Amino acid sequence: MSKKLKIIVLVMSALLAILLSVSIGGADIPISDIGRVFAYRLFGAPLPSDMPSVTAGLIWNIRLPRVLLSFVVGASLAVSGSVMQSVLKNPLASSYTVGVSAGAGLGVVLIIVFGISSTVLGAFLMPLTAIVFGMATIVFAVLVASRMSHALNDQSIILVGMILSVFVNAIMMTFASRSPEYAQQIAMWQMGSLSMRGWHVVGIISAASTVLILWLCRYAKEMDILTFGDEQASAVGVDVKKMKWFLLLLSSMLTAVSVAFVGVIGFVDLIAPHIIRRFFGAAHRYVLPLSALFGGLFLVLADLLSRTLIAPSEIPIGSITALIGAPFFGYLFLKNSKRKAGAS
Amino acid sequence: MLTIEHLSCCYGEQTVLKDISFTAKQHSKLLIIGANGCGKTTLLKAIAGLIPHQGIVSVNGKNTALLSRKEQAKKIGFLSQISSIYFPYTVYETVMHGRYVHLRDGLLRNVDKTNEKIVLKCLEMTGLLALKNKSITTLSGGQLQRVFLARVFAQEPDIILLDEPTNHLDLKHQLELMAYLDDWVKQGPRLVVGVVHDMNLALSFADEILMLKDGGILAHEKGAELDLKLMNELFEIDVISHMKQSLLKWQ
Repeated sequence: MSKKLKIIVLVMSALLAILLSVSIGGADIPISDIGRVFAYRLFGAPLPSDMPSVTAGLIWNIRLPRVLLSFVVGASLAVSGSVMQSVLKNPLASSYTVGVSAGAGLGVVLIIVFGISSTVLGAFLMPLTAIVFGMATIVFAVLVASRMSHALNDQSIILVGMILSVFVNAIMMTFASRSPEYAQQIAMWQMGSLSMRGWHVVGIISAASTVLILWLCRYAKEMDILTFGDEQASAVGVDVKKMKWFLLLLSSMLTAVSVAFVGVIGFVDLIAPHIIRRFFGAAHRYVLPLSALFGGLFLVLADLLSRTLIAPSEIPIGSITALIGAPFFGYLFLKNSKRKAGAS
Repeated sequence: MLTIEHLSCCYGEQTVLKDISFTAKQHSKLLIIGANGCGKTTLLKAIAGLIPHQGIVSVNGKNTALLSRKEQAKKIGFLSQISSIYFPYTVYETVMHGRYVHLRDGLLRNVDKTNEKIVLKCLEMTGLLALKNKSITTLSGGQLQRVFLARVFAQEPDIILLDEPTNHLDLKHQLELMAYLDDWVKQGPRLVVGVVHDMNLALSFADEILMLKDGGILAHEKGAELDLKLMNELFEIDVISHMKQSLLKWQ
């Protein structure tokens, strides 16, 4: 299959997943009705008289924002993951594994538990705190790692990040047990939730994520070169230390924005870049935008499962991604190690 | 022209290079030889600006320490031994990385026709045109090293530094690689400075030889005028007898 055809298939699948996801739920909505509501909302076309009045509201105010939110969050996490994997040259690296997600989550939890509010920042307090905490985690991890070894050693950054992640999660749990009244809310942040977010949240995340993803895409070449190792990248002319800091901070920010609104969701960021590299090669000018597409598609479907499998209850989205992601990842590793053993 | 003045280098407490000074002229190939741990690779990395050091490295009269990473890479390229490859870039993409310092920095940072032409020329120079769209993870060692050679050619530096690039290559590919470099040097005001493990290869390829012992210079001679007896001192064994005995076996 040519690259173009593969891209078209991916785009169509993403659109199909979005449509299906809007259509399926507590009340199933025919896809034709979705089209009519779109025409009504966007172009003022009249709604057909036989459509129940709640359907239009359900589509436009509940289902669609949720599905779009899943897509944008999935896309952000996937791009963030592919940047981390390339910069740290490790297929296990992601904002989730290096502690950014946990750090951002802690920021949110602190605000909930201490009931902090700000008249100046208003609704932006939570996302900003999440971003600051998420980025502080990666800065801390990199600084500790660079004290361990002279250069910005990738393995140490990942190791320190993983330890930090566990540590920060423990702090969250401590807060949860100290304030049982918030325990459920905190649990929700730890496993993520895409429900009950209005259009304004979709708007904020989409704007922030689009800017950050496009910005990262500008540095596709540097990421390509960095995967060959720090020394080779320097010799080719990349300012490795500066570029690493920049890319790590930007991709952490991308994850933190998502965590701020929907909590911690893992595995999307690990899986999406892997699959995209397998089908489209390693060049980041493809890997970044297509990982975004695949990550979005993946999370839309995962969210569909999370709200339909045991309806009317919901399974936390983070559990779904982990339930699909962990075995898939194990499979990838077994397959890789078999291939390596066969080759040698 | 490459000028090194009073270059010193330490790893922590340990001094690896002590007060090295030498000059290498254009159109020539200077090879550095010495025993393991004498500081050869450290010297190369210091010249390339990849590790911190004292003293001055200048290319055509310009102190490289005052240049940005990009400007340094425009002057000095680096070819090391083959390292592990994890990501499946194509041959063409990999060689295009060499153009990094020459690409325009516009909003979209597209690659223009000039750069594409130069990459194709470098692929042709190294006999890689047919492999252009192959993934580098599927190449043999010899092919992969040619890809990295094409990448460093594409960088269009004034100097190429070699850090044992012939390691892991068989004899045919070793000779082939050196022949490509030989051609490259002749094509302009260029210079190759490097470390090659095989002493015979070094002697036949080099215009000048720099002998490095315990972090200092033992001798710096024209290849033809080299006093081979110094080899015995350099490696602390009777090199000449060893080589003569090997030759007898071939005859």
